[in-house]
Amino acid sequence: MDTLTCFFGSAATAIIAAMLGACLGAFVPSLHILNLLAVLALAAQSALAAGAPFPPEAMIVAVAAFLTSWSLANTIPAVLAAAPDEGALFTVLPGQRYLMEGRGAEAVWLTVLGGVGGLGLLLSGLPFAVRLLPPLHAILRPHYGWIIWVVIVFMLLSEWPKGNYPGPAGWRKWMRGWRGLGAGLLTFLLSGMLGMILMYRSPLPPEQAFQNLMPAFVGLFGVPGLLFALIAHPQIPAQHQPRTLALPPRLWFRGAAAGALGGAVAAFLPVVTAGVGGLLAGHATATRDERVFLVSQGASKTVYYVGALLLLFVPGLEIVRGGAAWMLTGLYAPQPAADSGLAIGSVALAAAVTLLLMPVLLRLTLALVTRLGSRRLALAALALLLVLVGGLTGLPGLFVMAVASGIGLIPLLYDSRRLNALGVILLPLALNRSAAGPVVARWLGLF
Amino acid sequence: MTGLAATSFFPAAVQAAADGNPLYFILGAVCGLLPDTLDFRFARFFHRHTLEVILDPNQPDPAMIADAVAQAVALAVARTAPVTLKLNTARLGANAWQAYTVFFDRPQSRVVATCTGPVTTGSAPLPDSAVPAAARHATSTRKLAAGIVTDGDPEVKVDIFDGPTLRFYKRASGELGMEFLPWHRAWSHSLALAAMTGGVLVAIWSWTAGLVACAAWSAHVLADQLGHMGANLGYPFTRHRINGARLHHAGDGWPNLITVWASGLLILWNLARLTPASPPSPALLPLLVWGGVVPLFAAWSVDRLLARRG
Repeated sequence: MDTLTCFFGSAATAIIAAMLGACLGAFVPSLHILNLLAVLALAAQSALAAGAPFPPEAMIVAVAAFLTSWSLANTIPAVLAAAPDEGALFTVLPGQRYLMEGRGAEAVWLTVLGGVGGLGLLLSGLPFAVRLLPPLHAILRPHYGWIIWVVIVFMLLSEWPKGNYPGPAGWRKWMRGWRGLGAGLLTFLLSGMLGMILMYRSPLPPEQAFQNLMPAFVGLFGVPGLLFALIAHPQIPAQHQPRTLALPPRLWFRGAAAGALGGAVAAFLPVVTAGVGGLLAGHATATRDERVFLVSQGASKTVYYVGALLLLFVPGLEIVRGGAAWMLTGLYAPQPAADSGLAIGSVALAAAVTLLLMPVLLRLTLALVTRLGSRRLALAALALLLVLVGGLTGLPGLFVMAVASGIGLIPLLYDSRRLNALGVILLPLALNRSAAGPVVARWLGLF
Repeated sequence: MTGLAATSFFPAAVQAAADGNPLYFILGAVCGLLPDTLDFRFARFFHRHTLEVILDPNQPDPAMIADAVAQAVALAVARTAPVTLKLNTARLGANAWQAYTVFFDRPQSRVVATCTGPVTTGSAPLPDSAVPAAARHATSTRKLAAGIVTDGDPEVKVDIFDGPTLRFYKRASGELGMEFLPWHRAWSHSLALAAMTGGVLVAIWSWTAGLVACAAWSAHVLADQLGHMGANLGYPFTRHRINGARLHHAGDGWPNLITVWASGLLILWNLARLTPASPPSPALLPLLVWGGVVPLFAAWSVDRLLARRG
């Protein structure tokens, strides 16, 4: 293939993958990128086995573009399809508060602009990352175990009571304040135990091991919000499309920089996710303004997903972080020096395509939300999740999802931090890194 | 992060961590967070108040707020024991709170209570039409029995979540002092308590554990001392908070970022030099300059530039 054909072929692949990623991200709520990538990987494997005439490097372009556009566009359902009930509104994230004030589109744009800003900072920081990350990894390699533990400590100890507590001081008041905190600790413990069970005695058959955590994630983070929307039936007010955004460049920079920092840390450290990265960055930079918060969350999420994939292309680093990177290495072994340009170009092109598509996707989703209402939207999303989880993992997967949904409902019912459900991966991996995993598994009777 | 940075200075803790034992670093993380955890998860719920303001969110009455403050001050003047006043927040709805302020005008010995209107949980002002009609933006002034010497900002804002507590007490000079959040940094942010906790851990665990706990706890306390509120550093041997260095406010972004960044660099430096078989440790000064001063100055410059452009 000559250079020009290769160039246009890669660009076409990136644009198609970006459009696919953006559409799926915008219209399919509560589904993790790994589930979508798993379907993509299966399709690619089948196509390659059937002798499809595309080079294996095209997988880099497809995955990088798909991941980038999905991570930007999935903000739309995250804000517009996650209507909280009236009572929980003051404890939920600003995105949902914007939605219930009729400013959902504004929240989406703030988050997407944060993602774009984060990507800009990520790509401009790559020359430094290439030199700094290999020695940094060499220093931290023996220490990742305790780093995961202190992330857990921070997550559990940094949540404060969020209510207002009039009345006399004493145990009764303390119990009111601890209602949410206790629920948070319980969520972490139960999700951690679920993670241990899935790691040591998963009910899923071995051939579905690559989807082992998928039903748990869908149950912990996807289903509870949808169930809540079905039961509480919150009325989504009319949404306004903003003509301009009240976002001074300084606030955009602050949010994007804070989020990029958190996302980069999350991408580099094992097990830590974008949500935790955003939490760490928010604390490190004392983020208070809701606009800055939304921008930072967008930046953190995008930098986490894309940054983890780009780590594959840092010469001398040789680490695989994040599900997309694992998936890609299963299909093709990237050559860091030779393939990095392809990956970076795909990311940049996908971001541009997604930005161009965003107004249309946002308008369509808003129309859908308005026409269907929160209850029917939740019902449709729930049905889709059931089909996907059932189709990919069968009855055992549906059982795991049901158990995880019960755990995932706790933070919603008791107004605590949903991030605590990340115990499902944090606890088992922290225990294993400290060589305590098998001991605890034996206590739990898992072997 | 300051607690972890302090922990990383102990060779035994770093070597244990490199060998797969995370307990010293977990201890450092817990002790680094414990002072605030003790205050916000425990002390605040058990701190008794003499009076409290419970505002009708739909009919906010600044006169009632000013009266309550004046009454608390009058009680504090009349009694020898301190008087504590809790200013509760007033929730209007799912995402709306009735905000108000209490301003202590020391020269004129008066208090000015102002209902500043409804705000969202993000403290952003809500249009008046978003909530039921009520007396908004109203102000009420009351003469106080004494001029109040506040330990920080003379204006107290009350808007979302749990409201602040104010403690009025007689100062040595005979004036009346006002302590903001008397339950915060009252006993938990004590260097003496950090040392005692360390001593207990030396007795029941190891020297390293005791030193790590003491250092991590103290690092948090000393970092907080750079701010406005200060802390009761000598509890149980002292009874009052001493003022902080007032170099920054707790909500300021840059000081927080600089502290976290510097802590990260110190951790990295310590891990590199104290972990066996680690790559050669970078020298501290170049690490702080190239890894800290240069990138933070670059980010600060961009921030300033964008601020000028509005």
